[in-house]
Amino acid sequence: MISRRALELATAFLTGSFGVTVVISSLDNGIGWSSAGVEAGTFPFLTGIIIVLGSLYNLARGVLPAATLANVPVAITPIELRRLAGLFVPAAIFVAAIPLAGMYVASSLYVFAVLAIPRHQSVPRALAMAAATALALYVVFERMFQVSLPHGALAAALGF
Amino acid sequence: MDNLAELLHGFTIAVTVPHLVLMAVGVLLGILVGVLPGLGAPNGVSLLLPLTFGMQPVSAIILLSSMYWGALFGGSVTSILFNIPGEPSSVATTFDGYPMARDGRPTTALATAFGSAAIGALIGVILITFLASWVAQVALAFGPAEYFAVYFLAFASFVGMGGAAPIKTVVALAIGFAIAAIGIDTVSGSVRLTMGVDELVKGVSFVVAVMGLFGIGELLVAVEEEFHARAVSSKIDWREVFRAIGRLPQHGVALLRSAAIGCWMGITPGGPTAASFMSYGIARRFSRRGRYFGTGEVEGIISPETADHAAGTSALLPMLSLGIPGSATAAVMMGGLMIWGLNPGPMLFVDQKDFVWGLIASMYVGNIVAVALVLLTVPVFAALMRIPFVVIAPLIVIICVVGAYSVSNSYLDVVMMLGFGVIGYLFKKLFYPLAPLVLAIVIGDKAEDAFRQSMLMSKGSLGIFFANKLVTCLIVAGIALLLLPLVLQLAKLWRKPASPATEPTAQEKVII
Repeated sequence: MISRRALELATAFLTGSFGVTVVISSLDNGIGWSSAGVEAGTFPFLTGIIIVLGSLYNLARGVLPAATLANVPVAITPIELRRLAGLFVPAAIFVAAIPLAGMYVASSLYVFAVLAIPRHQSVPRALAMAAATALALYVVFERMFQVSLPHGALAAALGF
Repeated sequence: MDNLAELLHGFTIAVTVPHLVLMAVGVLLGILVGVLPGLGAPNGVSLLLPLTFGMQPVSAIILLSSMYWGALFGGSVTSILFNIPGEPSSVATTFDGYPMARDGRPTTALATAFGSAAIGALIGVILITFLASWVAQVALAFGPAEYFAVYFLAFASFVGMGGAAPIKTVVALAIGFAIAAIGIDTVSGSVRLTMGVDELVKGVSFVVAVMGLFGIGELLVAVEEEFHARAVSSKIDWREVFRAIGRLPQHGVALLRSAAIGCWMGITPGGPTAASFMSYGIARRFSRRGRYFGTGEVEGIISPETADHAAGTSALLPMLSLGIPGSATAAVMMGGLMIWGLNPGPMLFVDQKDFVWGLIASMYVGNIVAVALVLLTVPVFAALMRIPFVVIAPLIVIICVVGAYSVSNSYLDVVMMLGFGVIGYLFKKLFYPLAPLVLAIVIGDKAEDAFRQSMLMSKGSLGIFFANKLVTCLIVAGIALLLLPLVLQLAKLWRKPASPATEPTAQEKVII
C-alpha cells in the first residue's frame, strides 16, 4: 500500500532533484548579463530555481497534514499496485529488449507474453496476435512510410 | 466583410474531394483514439504528425484538426454508453449522460451530446472567423517585449484559472521550460542541460513527451481500475435523434452560457477539461432543475458538451493569431506547424492566407462531418469497447514506443518516453496539470527568445516591460492572475481563521 502522502513526497523529491540538476547544469552556460545579452544559462537557471522552490513547497504540503490529504490517505492499494506492475514491468522489459532483439521480435514477444502467460488468451490466439502485430508494424512503417524500425543486434549478427 | 470573402475562398480549398476524404479519415481516427482509453487527442495527433511531413500544410492541418474533432466526439461516446470517459474533457459528460443512457434513453443522450457539441464548436468557429484576423492584425505590431508579455499572460492564466493547485501548476510549467531548454541554444549556439548525454544535443521532442505523459501515463491510471465495460444498448433510433436535436433550442440559455464559458476557457489556456467542469458546475447552480443533476438531466449533458467543444475549437484562435496554443492538443498542432516550416502567429494571416482560411472553413465542414460520422459509427466503436483491456493495453504501449522512436529514429527517445510515462502517471495521480507542461515544452524556446531579445533591446533593463500601455497592461494582468490564487487563499483565511485547510480543486473534488 502506498499512501497519498508518500506519493506526494516522492514526486516533490523527484521534481526537486530535477530542478537542482537544471540549476547546476545551467551554471556551465553562465548566468546573468554579458556583452552578448542575457547569457544562455540564465533562463534555465531561473526555471530551475522555480522548480526547486515549488518542490520544496509541495514537499512541505505533503509533510503537513492537510484536509485534502486526509480525505484520501491511500493513493495506491496493493491490488492496484499489482495491476500497475503487471502493465509497467513487461513494458519496461519490452523497451529494454529492443536494442538486442529489434522492434519486431521484441514487440511480438511482448504481445505473446502479456496475453499467454497470465492466460488471458489461449496460446494459439496469442501467437496469432503476436505475429499480426509484427506484420502490421512492418507493413505500416517499413513499407508504407519508409521508416526503418530498429532490427536489433541479434538480427545484425545474423546478417539482416 | 473581408473575412467573409476570405472564408468563402477558404471553402473552395476545404470542400474538395481529397480534403473531404482527409476529414473523414481524420474524424474516424479521432473517434478511435477518443474511444480507446490511454490514447487521446494529444498523442493521437502527435502519432499522426510524422505521416504529414510529405503533405501540403493545409491538407496536413485539416487531417490533424479533424482528428481533434473526432477525438472530442469519441470521448463522449464512451462517457455516455460505458460511464468511462475516453478523454479527460468528457468526464463531466458521464455525470448525466450515463444515467440517462442507463434509463433506456441512450439515443437521446448521444444525440443531445452531439447536437450541443456541434453548436458549441460552431460558436467557437464563428468566433475564430471574426476575431482571429483582427487579433492577428493587432499582434502584427508586437515587438519582442509584447510577445513575452503575451506568453507570460498565457502561463499566468494557467496558474490563476487552470483549476489545479497553483504551485503544482508552476512546477509543471517550469519543468516544461527546462525541458524546452535542453539541447542547442538558438541564440548563442551553446549546448545546454545535456547532463553529459551527447544525444540530448538535439533536444527533447514534445512528441516524445506527449506519448509518455498522455499515452503511457493515462494507461497506467486506467489499468488501476478494473475495467468493466458494461454497455447499455448502443442501437441508434434515428427518429429520436432528430427529436432530441429539435428539443435543443429549448435550452438556448444553457447552450449560449456554456459556449461562452467554453470560448473563454479555450482562448485563455484553461483548456476543454476545465471548461466542461466549470460549465457543468455553473449549470447545476443556475438551472431550475439543478437539484436533479446527476440523474440524467438534459442540461447536465448540454452544458459540459457545449463548453468542451467550444473550448476545443477556440483553442485554435490564439494558436493561429498569436502562436500561443490554448490546449495541449493545440500545442501539438502548433509543433506540427513549425515542423512544416510555417511560423505560427500573426504573419500566417498575411503570408499563408490559403492555409489559415482553408483551416477555418474546414472547421465548419469538419464538425458536420464529425457529427454525421460519429452517429453512424456509434455501434462499431461501442463494439470495440468490448475487446478486453488486457489486449488493448500492450498494443497502445507498442504504438507509443514506435511513435516515440519514429520522431528521430532514436532509442533514447523511447527510454525517455517511458520515463515521461511514469511522470505522467504520478502527475495525474496527484493532480499536477499536464497541459501547461506540454505547452511550455512547445513554446518555451519562443518565450525565452522573446525575453532575451527584449533584454537586448533595452540593454538589460526590465523597464522595457513597462515601456508602453499595451505591454504594461499585459504584464500587470499576468501578475494579477499569478497572484489570484494567493489572494483567494488569504481572503479565505481572513474570513475563517479557524480552518486553514484548503479546498480540493474542482476536478479533485469530482475524482474524490
